[in-house]
Amino acid sequence: MNSISRTSTLLVASAIASIPMAEARPVSYPGGWTAMQMNNGDMSSLHLHYSPTAKDSIGFYSERNWANDWHFTGLQYNRLVKRWNTPNSQANLYLKVGAGQADPFGNDADVDAAGFVGIGADWETRRWFVSYEGRAYDLGVDQDARQAARIGFAPYQGDYGDLHTWLMLQVENQPEADTPTVITPLVRFFYDVQLLEIGYTPESDELMLNWIVRF
Amino acid sequence: MNSISLTVLAVSFVLTAPHAVADNHQPIEAAATTQTMVTAKVNGMVCDFCARAVTKVFGKEDVVENVHVDLDNGEIHVTLKSGADMSDAEVEKLVKKSGYDLVSVGRESL
Repeated sequence: MNSISRTSTLLVASAIASIPMAEARPVSYPGGWTAMQMNNGDMSSLHLHYSPTAKDSIGFYSERNWANDWHFTGLQYNRLVKRWNTPNSQANLYLKVGAGQADPFGNDADVDAAGFVGIGADWETRRWFVSYEGRAYDLGVDQDARQAARIGFAPYQGDYGDLHTWLMLQVENQPEADTPTVITPLVRFFYDVQLLEIGYTPESDELMLNWIVRF
Repeated sequence: MNSISLTVLAVSFVLTAPHAVADNHQPIEAAATTQTMVTAKVNGMVCDFCARAVTKVFGKEDVVENVHVDLDNGEIHVTLKSGADMSDAEVEKLVKKSGYDLVSVGRESL
């Protein structure tokens, strides 16, 4: 692989590694569609998936890295491996697999195949929320991994159809990043089928804006 | 005297006749408008996305007229169409299909 291609691969690796970790509940109800649109200072992404069952979803994933001018496009499959339902809580374990290509735009560098695997876990009551996600990717000449965890608290409990508000703290670790560990306080608004997250990462001075809708 | 008696009988007949007809039809009308509300107590239903999943899955059933989710009590209230019924096994299947676990089922005539 020539130096341009290698550099491209590394830049794409960085782009993929910066994908926000906020893909809460990547599987919907049977027949349900979900659109997840996420943004921070460096990138924007879109994950549109369909759930044929309550345990699977598959869909399109695209991410554009504004900082490095790279565009990742591929398919992502999410599997609910296990769910624990109790009277007052729900916990989930997910497996995520992605495959596609990394396409640099604005220059003539090669398009490379790319893929990733990840696990996600969450536990939620109507008052507390805890989640973890770890992801590793392979782009041929480069491998990397990242992980993130969240804790959230709902200051009030609304019923179905009310506006729900969550105060959350996300800790993200990317061992190969300039700042390996960053903390992002965020607010999640949850109304009807829409979920909006707004956060700020002081270490990188970046805003987070995520939006999810189910239909 | 006879004419008075006949008049009273005639008036009585006229006044009671419609009631008799109505009484004859009342059981039929009541049966046609009987509705059942199924209450399913479930585990794991803690958020609006959960509630929406349940609403969508139950709402696709032909016999279902309305679905209401009570997050506070972890209950699904399913109002069935007139004269329709839904077995416990069917309720459990739909709750499972939504991603949750059924605890109990209750029924109430509306």
